[in-house]
Amino acid sequence: MAQHTIDDEVAALIAEILEMDPVQLDRNANLVEDLGMDSMMALEILAALEKKFKIKIPEADLPKITTVNQTIELAKKYAR
Amino acid sequence: MLDSPVVPQQLNFEQVKQIIPQRFPFLMLDRVVNAEPGVRVVGIKNLTGNEWFYQGHFPKRAVTPGAMLCEAVAQAGIVFFHLSRPVRGDVTYLLGSIKMRFLEPAWPGDQLEIEVTPIKLTESAGILSGEVRVNGRAVAKGELTLSAKDNSKL
Repeated sequence: MAQHTIDDEVAALIAEILEMDPVQLDRNANLVEDLGMDSMMALEILAALEKKFKIKIPEADLPKITTVNQTIELAKKYAR
Repeated sequence: MLDSPVVPQQLNFEQVKQIIPQRFPFLMLDRVVNAEPGVRVVGIKNLTGNEWFYQGHFPKRAVTPGAMLCEAVAQAGIVFFHLSRPVRGDVTYLLGSIKMRFLEPAWPGDQLEIEVTPIKLTESAGILSGEVRVNGRAVAKGELTLSAKDNSKL
């Protein structure tokens, strides 16, 4: 899968859970402080990543979902 | 894991009330017929024509509100979460999201069979899949996100 496709798919997935327009999503914005993500949304993002990319992400990595770009890195780490 | 290694496979009404905080008129679980921590919980709710919500939903024809079917799934979810990831301390269970499809109406006299299974679980939250059946036919199915919030942080 092309890298840019993973990037865009992760961003789209996060935008959907945060109910935002993916185009307006700042990929370096703090998901909690800037975009209003709560712990349950973070869990939903984790589960959506697992389903979308057919990967398994340990619970210990949940705190790494801090920005869209960090989440993209997390997805890539396990999608390899 | 649990304080006690023995987890009952079935829970009666009183045992259900020891787990879930809801009380009349918001109890939507009469008993649990199959409790497998980490795997599934199957609960039963018998709907009678006396339920409080039929007074207004609807006066001319009683139909079980979809919101109450969601509540039944959420309560089975609390039982599942409690048995699978026992929560210590003073917590309040909160729903983060619920996505439910209502397939058929549920009527007074129906026995609801409510099954929840895990999609993703952490120490303090979970995404669960839920299905409500009547006579083996699904009347509602969907997903919900549930968390156990420490009351000191609310």
